[in-house]
Amino acid sequence: MKPAHNLDWWLGAADLVAVGVTEGASHIGQVHLAIADHSFNVLARVPVTRPVSEPVRVIHHGISRCCYGAVAQSGRLCQWLVRLQRKPPGSQ
Amino acid sequence: MSRDSREPKSWQSHTSAILSGFFGDWLAQRESPLAVKTALLHEGKRLDLAKLDIPQPKGTVILLVHGLMGQESIWEFPGQPGVHYGSELAQVMDANALCLRYNSGRPVHYTGATLTNLLQTLKEHWPVPLEKLVLIGHSMGGLVIRSACHQGEIAGHSWPQCVESCVYLGAPHDGSWLAQTAHETAGMMQSMPTAYLKVVGKFIDSRSEGIRNLTAGDILKDLDQSPPLLAGARHFAVAGLLSKRPGHALNRIFGDLLVKESSARGGGRKGWTMTDSVCFTGVSHVRLAHSARINQQLREWLT
Repeated sequence: MKPAHNLDWWLGAADLVAVGVTEGASHIGQVHLAIADHSFNVLARVPVTRPVSEPVRVIHHGISRCCYGAVAQSGRLCQWLVRLQRKPPGSQ
Repeated sequence: MSRDSREPKSWQSHTSAILSGFFGDWLAQRESPLAVKTALLHEGKRLDLAKLDIPQPKGTVILLVHGLMGQESIWEFPGQPGVHYGSELAQVMDANALCLRYNSGRPVHYTGATLTNLLQTLKEHWPVPLEKLVLIGHSMGGLVIRSACHQGEIAGHSWPQCVESCVYLGAPHDGSWLAQTAHETAGMMQSMPTAYLKVVGKFIDSRSEGIRNLTAGDILKDLDQSPPLLAGARHFAVAGLLSKRPGHALNRIFGDLLVKESSARGGGRKGWTMTDSVCFTGVSHVRLAHSARINQQLREWLT
Protein backbone atom coordinates (compact mmCIF):
# COMPACT_ATOMS: atom_id res chain seq x y z
CA MET A 1 0.00 0.00 0.00
CA LYS A 2 1.42 3.37 -1.03
CA PRO A 3 2.05 5.83 1.85
CA ALA A 4 -0.25 8.48 0.31
CA HIS A 5 -3.16 6.03 0.10
CA ASN A 6 -2.44 4.72 3.59
CA LEU A 7 -2.50 8.27 4.97
CA ASP A 8 -5.78 8.87 3.17
CA TRP A 9 -7.25 5.74 4.79
CA TRP A 10 -6.12 6.86 8.25
CA LEU A 11 -7.55 10.33 7.68
CA GLY A 12 -10.85 8.67 6.77
CA ALA A 13 -10.68 6.63 9.97
CA ALA A 14 -9.89 9.77 11.98
CA ASP A 15 -12.84 11.54 10.38
CA LEU A 16 -15.15 8.66 11.30
CA VAL A 17 -13.88 8.62 14.89
CA ALA A 18 -14.29 12.41 15.12
CA VAL A 19 -17.89 12.18 13.89
CA GLY A 20 -18.46 9.33 16.35
CA VAL A 21 -17.10 11.43 19.21
CA THR A 22 -19.25 14.43 18.20
CA GLU A 23 -22.47 12.44 17.81
CA GLY A 24 -21.63 10.12 20.72
CA ALA A 25 -21.04 13.00 23.14
CA SER A 26 -24.39 14.51 22.21
CA HIS A 27 -26.28 11.22 22.61
CA ILE A 28 -24.46 10.09 25.75
CA GLY A 29 -25.15 13.54 27.21
CA GLN A 30 -28.86 13.07 26.58
CA VAL A 31 -28.79 9.62 28.20
CA HIS A 32 -26.81 10.93 31.20
CA LEU A 33 -29.21 13.83 31.84
CA ALA A 34 -32.29 11.63 31.36
CA ILE A 35 -31.00 9.10 33.92
CA ALA A 36 -29.90 11.87 36.30
CA ASP A 37 -33.39 13.39 36.07
CA HIS A 38 -34.82 10.15 37.51
CA SER A 39 -32.56 10.52 40.58
CA PHE A 40 -33.26 14.24 40.98
CA ASN A 41 -37.01 13.59 40.70
CA VAL A 42 -36.71 11.14 43.63
CA LEU A 43 -34.64 13.64 45.63
CA ALA A 44 -37.25 16.34 44.95
CA ARG A 45 -39.89 14.19 46.65
CA VAL A 46 -37.85 13.62 49.82
CA PRO A 47 -38.48 16.46 52.32
CA VAL A 48 -34.87 16.63 53.57
CA THR A 49 -33.31 16.93 50.09
CA ARG A 50 -36.14 18.84 48.37
CA PRO A 51 -34.80 22.38 49.08
CA VAL A 52 -31.38 21.69 47.51
CA SER A 53 -32.28 19.15 44.83
CA GLU A 54 -33.36 21.70 42.20
CA PRO A 55 -30.29 23.98 42.50
CA VAL A 56 -28.03 20.90 42.43
CA ARG A 57 -29.89 19.62 39.36
CA VAL A 58 -29.33 22.95 37.60
CA ILE A 59 -25.61 22.95 38.48
CA HIS A 60 -25.21 19.27 37.58
CA HIS A 61 -26.96 19.66 34.22
CA GLY A 62 -25.04 22.86 33.46
CA ILE A 63 -21.64 21.31 34.14
CA SER A 64 -22.61 18.15 32.24
CA ARG A 65 -23.79 20.12 29.20
CA CYS A 66 -20.53 22.11 29.24
CA CYS A 67 -18.44 18.91 29.40
CA TYR A 68 -20.34 17.05 26.67
CA GLY A 69 -20.44 20.21 24.59
CA ALA A 70 -16.67 20.60 24.92
CA VAL A 71 -16.12 16.98 23.83
CA ALA A 72 -18.48 17.44 20.87
CA GLN A 73 -16.68 20.65 19.87
CA SER A 74 -13.33 18.81 20.05
CA GLY A 75 -14.81 16.23 17.69
CA ARG A 76 -15.90 18.98 15.30
CA LEU A 77 -12.44 20.53 15.47
CA CYS A 78 -10.90 17.16 14.57
CA GLN A 79 -13.30 16.81 11.62
CA TRP A 80 -12.24 20.24 10.40
CA LEU A 81 -8.54 19.39 10.77
CA VAL A 82 -9.04 16.13 8.87
CA ARG A 83 -10.82 18.01 6.06
CA LEU A 84 -7.85 20.38 5.86
CA GLN A 85 -5.43 17.46 5.54
CA ARG A 86 -7.42 15.47 2.99
CA LYS A 87 -6.85 16.05 -0.70
CA PRO A 88 -9.98 16.64 -2.77
CA PRO A 89 -11.46 13.27 -3.84
CA GLY A 90 -10.17 12.09 -7.21
CA SER A 91 -6.91 14.05 -7.04
CA GLN A 92 -3.61 12.17 -7.32
CA MET B 1 -0.61 3.11 -11.32
CA SER B 2 -3.81 4.99 -10.70
CA ARG B 3 -4.88 5.94 -7.21
CA ASP B 4 -7.82 3.54 -7.28
CA SER B 5 -5.81 0.50 -8.33
CA ARG B 6 -3.67 0.56 -5.19
CA GLU B 7 -4.85 -2.19 -2.91
CA PRO B 8 -5.08 -1.45 0.82
CA LYS B 9 -3.65 -3.78 3.44
CA SER B 10 -5.80 -6.80 4.16
CA TRP B 11 -6.98 -5.73 7.62
CA GLN B 12 -7.69 -2.22 6.39
CA SER B 13 -9.63 -3.65 3.49
CA HIS B 14 -11.64 -5.85 5.90
CA THR B 15 -12.29 -2.86 8.18
CA SER B 16 -13.47 -0.77 5.24
CA ALA B 17 -15.81 -3.57 4.13
CA ILE B 18 -17.33 -3.88 7.61
CA LEU B 19 -17.69 -0.12 8.09
CA SER B 20 -19.15 0.20 4.59
CA GLY B 21 -21.74 -2.41 5.52
CA PHE B 22 -22.79 -0.45 8.57
CA PHE B 23 -22.53 3.12 7.25
CA GLY B 24 -21.65 2.72 3.57
CA ASP B 25 -24.19 5.15 2.18
CA TRP B 26 -23.09 7.81 4.67
CA LEU B 27 -19.39 7.16 3.99
CA ALA B 28 -19.97 7.42 0.24
CA GLN B 29 -21.92 10.64 0.64
CA ARG B 30 -19.04 12.02 2.76
CA GLU B 31 -16.57 10.87 0.06
CA SER B 32 -14.71 8.98 2.75
CA PRO B 33 -11.71 6.88 1.69
CA LEU B 34 -13.15 4.17 3.95
CA ALA B 35 -16.08 3.63 1.59
CA VAL B 36 -15.46 0.57 -0.58
CA LYS B 37 -15.27 1.41 -4.27
CA THR B 38 -17.01 -0.84 -6.77
CA ALA B 39 -14.67 -2.98 -8.83
CA LEU B 40 -14.52 -6.20 -10.81
CA LEU B 41 -11.55 -8.33 -9.85
CA HIS B 42 -9.76 -11.08 -11.70
CA GLU B 43 -7.36 -13.21 -9.65
CA GLY B 44 -7.39 -10.52 -6.96
CA LYS B 45 -6.51 -7.68 -9.34
CA ARG B 46 -8.80 -4.84 -10.20
CA LEU B 47 -9.96 -4.90 -13.83
CA ASP B 48 -9.77 -1.79 -15.94
CA LEU B 49 -12.77 -2.31 -18.21
CA ALA B 50 -11.49 0.20 -20.77
CA LYS B 51 -8.37 -1.91 -21.44
CA LEU B 52 -9.05 -5.43 -20.26
CA ASP B 53 -5.93 -7.44 -19.61
CA ILE B 54 -7.05 -11.06 -19.23
CA PRO B 55 -4.32 -13.59 -20.13
CA GLN B 56 -6.67 -16.24 -21.56
CA PRO B 57 -10.15 -14.82 -22.08
CA LYS B 58 -12.93 -17.38 -22.43
CA GLY B 59 -16.47 -17.14 -23.70
CA THR B 60 -17.84 -18.02 -20.27
CA VAL B 61 -17.56 -15.77 -17.24
CA ILE B 62 -18.39 -16.75 -13.67
CA LEU B 63 -19.06 -13.78 -11.42
CA LEU B 64 -19.06 -14.03 -7.63
CA VAL B 65 -20.93 -11.33 -5.69
CA HIS B 66 -20.26 -11.12 -1.94
CA GLY B 67 -22.78 -10.11 0.71
CA LEU B 68 -23.18 -7.46 3.40
CA MET B 69 -19.86 -6.39 4.95
CA GLY B 70 -18.10 -8.95 2.80
CA GLN B 71 -15.35 -8.75 0.25
CA GLU B 72 -13.88 -11.11 -2.30
CA SER B 73 -11.78 -12.93 0.31
CA ILE B 74 -14.95 -14.46 1.81
CA TRP B 75 -15.05 -16.84 -1.19
CA GLU B 76 -11.65 -18.37 -0.51
CA PHE B 77 -11.57 -21.87 0.94
CA PRO B 78 -9.84 -21.90 4.34
CA GLY B 79 -6.07 -22.14 3.95
CA GLN B 80 -6.27 -21.95 0.14
CA PRO B 81 -5.71 -18.35 -1.00
CA GLY B 82 -7.12 -17.67 -4.45
CA VAL B 83 -9.13 -20.91 -4.53
CA HIS B 84 -12.91 -20.43 -4.53
CA TYR B 85 -16.08 -21.64 -6.24
CA GLY B 86 -15.27 -19.48 -9.25
CA SER B 87 -11.72 -20.73 -9.73
CA GLU B 88 -12.81 -24.36 -9.25
CA LEU B 89 -15.74 -24.07 -11.68
CA ALA B 90 -13.63 -22.12 -14.17
CA GLN B 91 -11.34 -25.14 -14.58
CA VAL B 92 -14.14 -27.54 -15.46
CA MET B 93 -16.28 -25.05 -17.40
CA ASP B 94 -13.39 -23.48 -19.37
CA ALA B 95 -14.32 -20.08 -17.99
CA ASN B 96 -12.89 -16.97 -16.37
CA ALA B 97 -13.84 -16.26 -12.78
CA LEU B 98 -14.39 -12.68 -11.66
CA CYS B 99 -15.36 -11.23 -8.28
CA LEU B 100 -17.38 -8.10 -7.65
CA ARG B 101 -16.36 -5.79 -4.84
CA TYR B 102 -18.89 -3.16 -3.79
CA ASN B 103 -20.00 -0.89 -0.97
CA SER B 104 -22.60 -3.12 0.69
CA GLY B 105 -24.10 -0.29 2.75
CA ARG B 106 -25.50 1.36 -0.35
CA PRO B 107 -29.05 0.43 -1.36
CA VAL B 108 -29.35 -2.88 -3.20
CA HIS B 109 -31.03 -1.14 -6.16
CA TYR B 110 -28.05 1.24 -6.43
CA THR B 111 -25.54 -1.63 -6.45
CA GLY B 112 -27.79 -3.52 -8.89
CA ALA B 113 -27.78 -0.54 -11.25
CA THR B 114 -24.00 -0.24 -10.95
CA LEU B 115 -23.55 -3.95 -11.65
CA THR B 116 -25.83 -3.90 -14.67
CA ASN B 117 -23.77 -1.08 -16.20
CA LEU B 118 -20.51 -2.86 -15.32
CA LEU B 119 -21.66 -6.09 -16.96
CA GLN B 120 -22.80 -4.29 -20.09
CA THR B 121 -19.40 -2.58 -20.34
CA LEU B 122 -17.69 -5.91 -19.64
CA LYS B 123 -19.66 -7.61 -22.41
CA GLU B 124 -18.80 -4.84 -24.87
CA HIS B 125 -15.07 -4.87 -24.02
CA TRP B 126 -14.53 -8.59 -23.38
CA PRO B 127 -11.70 -9.73 -25.68
CA VAL B 128 -13.74 -12.67 -27.08
CA PRO B 129 -17.53 -12.88 -27.64
CA LEU B 130 -19.16 -13.33 -24.24
CA GLU B 131 -21.52 -16.25 -24.63
CA LYS B 132 -22.32 -17.41 -21.12
CA LEU B 133 -22.56 -15.72 -17.73
CA VAL B 134 -22.91 -17.57 -14.44
CA LEU B 135 -23.77 -15.35 -11.50
CA ILE B 136 -23.19 -16.60 -7.95
CA GLY B 137 -24.31 -14.39 -5.06
CA HIS B 138 -23.83 -14.87 -1.36
CA SER B 139 -26.40 -13.32 0.99
CA MET B 140 -27.05 -9.72 -0.14
CA GLY B 141 -25.09 -10.59 -3.29
CA GLY B 142 -28.05 -12.74 -4.40
CA LEU B 143 -30.36 -9.72 -4.12
CA VAL B 144 -27.84 -7.59 -6.02
CA ILE B 145 -27.83 -10.17 -8.84
CA ARG B 146 -31.64 -10.17 -9.05
CA SER B 147 -31.70 -6.37 -9.00
CA ALA B 148 -29.04 -6.13 -11.73
CA CYS B 149 -30.83 -8.69 -13.95
CA HIS B 150 -34.14 -6.83 -13.67
CA GLN B 151 -32.62 -3.40 -14.21
CA GLY B 152 -30.52 -4.72 -17.11
CA GLU B 153 -33.66 -6.03 -18.83
CA ILE B 154 -35.51 -2.75 -18.24
CA ALA B 155 -32.55 -0.79 -19.64
CA GLY B 156 -32.47 -3.03 -22.73
CA HIS B 157 -28.95 -4.29 -22.03
CA SER B 158 -27.71 -7.31 -23.95
CA TRP B 159 -25.84 -9.02 -21.10
CA PRO B 160 -28.93 -10.52 -19.39
CA GLN B 161 -29.41 -12.69 -22.51
CA CYS B 162 -26.02 -14.29 -21.76
CA VAL B 163 -26.99 -15.28 -18.22
CA GLU B 164 -27.10 -19.05 -18.15
CA SER B 165 -27.47 -19.58 -14.38
CA CYS B 166 -27.94 -17.62 -11.18
CA VAL B 167 -27.04 -19.21 -7.87
CA TYR B 168 -28.26 -17.69 -4.62
CA LEU B 169 -26.34 -18.80 -1.51
CA GLY B 170 -28.25 -17.87 1.64
CA ALA B 171 -29.82 -14.87 -0.09
CA PRO B 172 -32.54 -13.28 2.07
CA HIS B 173 -35.20 -13.11 -0.66
CA ASP B 174 -37.89 -12.60 1.98
CA GLY B 175 -35.64 -10.71 4.40
CA SER B 176 -33.36 -11.60 7.28
CA TRP B 177 -34.76 -12.13 10.77
CA LEU B 178 -31.92 -10.03 12.24
CA ALA B 179 -32.64 -7.05 9.97
CA GLN B 180 -36.35 -7.40 10.77
CA THR B 181 -35.58 -7.45 14.51
CA ALA B 182 -33.37 -4.34 14.18
CA HIS B 183 -36.13 -2.58 12.23
CA GLU B 184 -38.78 -3.42 14.83
CA THR B 185 -36.51 -2.63 17.79
CA ALA B 186 -35.54 0.76 16.34
CA GLY B 187 -39.19 1.65 15.78
CA MET B 188 -40.16 0.52 19.28
CA MET B 189 -37.29 2.41 20.95
CA GLN B 190 -38.00 5.60 19.00
CA SER B 191 -41.62 5.54 20.15
CA MET B 192 -40.62 5.26 23.84
CA PRO B 193 -41.08 8.36 26.02
CA THR B 194 -37.71 7.90 27.76
CA ALA B 195 -34.79 9.84 26.26
CA TYR B 196 -32.18 7.11 26.70
CA LEU B 197 -34.32 4.51 24.93
CA LYS B 198 -34.85 6.96 22.08
CA VAL B 199 -31.06 7.28 21.82
CA VAL B 200 -30.74 3.49 21.45
CA GLY B 201 -33.42 3.67 18.73
CA LYS B 202 -31.52 6.48 16.99
CA PHE B 203 -28.30 4.45 17.11
CA ILE B 204 -29.98 1.39 15.54
CA ASP B 205 -31.60 3.70 13.00
CA SER B 206 -28.19 4.92 11.85
CA ARG B 207 -27.72 1.60 10.01
CA SER B 208 -27.15 1.77 6.27
CA GLU B 209 -29.75 1.56 3.50
CA GLY B 210 -28.19 -1.73 2.50
CA ILE B 211 -29.01 -3.24 5.89
CA ARG B 212 -32.53 -1.77 5.72
CA ASN B 213 -33.07 -3.49 2.36
CA LEU B 214 -32.48 -6.82 4.09
CA THR B 215 -35.58 -6.30 6.24
CA ALA B 216 -37.84 -7.49 3.42
CA GLY B 217 -35.34 -8.38 0.69
CA ASP B 218 -35.96 -5.19 -1.32
CA ILE B 219 -34.11 -5.04 -4.62
CA LEU B 220 -35.71 -2.03 -6.31
CA LYS B 221 -36.23 1.63 -5.46
CA ASP B 222 -39.97 1.10 -5.69
CA LEU B 223 -40.43 -1.14 -2.65
CA ASP B 224 -43.87 -2.30 -3.81
CA GLN B 225 -42.44 -4.00 -6.87
CA SER B 226 -41.45 -7.66 -6.74
CA PRO B 227 -39.93 -8.48 -10.12
CA PRO B 228 -39.84 -12.06 -11.37
CA LEU B 229 -36.68 -14.08 -11.76
CA LEU B 230 -34.79 -13.48 -14.99
CA ALA B 231 -36.50 -15.46 -17.74
CA GLY B 232 -34.36 -17.78 -19.82
CA ALA B 233 -31.86 -18.43 -17.03
CA ARG B 234 -31.68 -21.26 -14.54
CA HIS B 235 -32.01 -20.26 -10.89
CA PHE B 236 -30.64 -22.25 -7.98
CA ALA B 237 -31.06 -21.55 -4.26
CA VAL B 238 -28.86 -22.84 -1.46
CA ALA B 239 -29.92 -22.56 2.17
CA GLY B 240 -27.86 -23.33 5.25
CA LEU B 241 -28.87 -24.49 8.70
CA LEU B 242 -26.86 -24.07 11.88
CA SER B 243 -27.49 -27.48 13.37
CA LYS B 244 -26.92 -30.81 11.65
CA ARG B 245 -30.34 -31.98 12.85
CA PRO B 246 -32.91 -30.45 10.44
CA GLY B 247 -35.70 -30.19 13.03
CA HIS B 248 -33.51 -28.54 15.67
CA ALA B 249 -34.95 -25.44 17.33
CA LEU B 250 -31.83 -23.42 16.37
CA ASN B 251 -32.58 -24.02 12.71
CA ARG B 252 -36.20 -22.93 13.07
CA ILE B 253 -35.26 -19.75 14.94
CA PHE B 254 -32.05 -18.66 13.25
CA GLY B 255 -31.81 -20.66 10.01
CA ASP B 256 -28.17 -20.32 8.94
CA LEU B 257 -27.69 -17.71 11.71
CA LEU B 258 -28.91 -14.73 9.68
CA VAL B 259 -31.30 -16.10 7.04
CA LYS B 260 -34.01 -18.68 7.52
CA GLU B 261 -34.40 -21.57 5.10
CA SER B 262 -37.73 -20.39 3.65
CA SER B 263 -36.30 -16.94 2.93
CA ALA B 264 -33.21 -18.41 1.27
CA ARG B 265 -35.50 -20.48 -0.97
CA GLY B 266 -37.70 -17.45 -1.72
CA GLY B 267 -40.69 -19.23 -0.21
CA GLY B 268 -42.64 -16.01 0.24
CA ARG B 269 -42.29 -14.88 -3.38
CA LYS B 270 -45.24 -15.63 -5.66
CA GLY B 271 -44.74 -16.92 -9.19
CA TRP B 272 -41.15 -18.00 -8.67
CA THR B 273 -39.86 -21.28 -9.99
CA MET B 274 -36.38 -22.16 -8.88
CA THR B 275 -34.74 -24.73 -11.14
CA ASP B 276 -33.53 -26.46 -7.99
CA SER B 277 -32.88 -25.65 -4.37
CA VAL B 278 -31.04 -27.47 -1.64
CA CYS B 279 -30.52 -27.06 2.07
CA PHE B 280 -27.27 -27.97 3.83
CA THR B 281 -27.43 -28.76 7.52
CA GLY B 282 -24.53 -27.75 9.74
CA VAL B 283 -23.49 -24.94 7.37
CA SER B 284 -23.63 -21.41 8.76
CA HIS B 285 -24.29 -18.24 6.79
CA VAL B 286 -20.63 -17.33 6.28
CA ARG B 287 -19.62 -20.94 5.49
CA LEU B 288 -22.08 -20.93 2.59
CA ALA B 289 -19.50 -18.85 0.71
CA HIS B 290 -16.68 -21.41 0.98
CA SER B 291 -17.94 -24.91 1.66
CA ALA B 292 -16.61 -28.03 -0.06
CA ARG B 293 -20.11 -29.59 0.01
CA ILE B 294 -21.60 -26.60 -1.78
CA ASN B 295 -18.71 -26.60 -4.24
CA GLN B 296 -19.67 -30.15 -5.16
CA GLN B 297 -23.33 -29.14 -5.52
CA LEU B 298 -22.39 -26.24 -7.80
CA ARG B 299 -20.39 -28.62 -10.00
CA GLU B 300 -23.43 -30.89 -10.32
CA TRP B 301 -25.72 -28.00 -11.22
CA LEU B 302 -23.49 -25.95 -13.47
CA THR B 303 -21.28 -28.41 -15.35
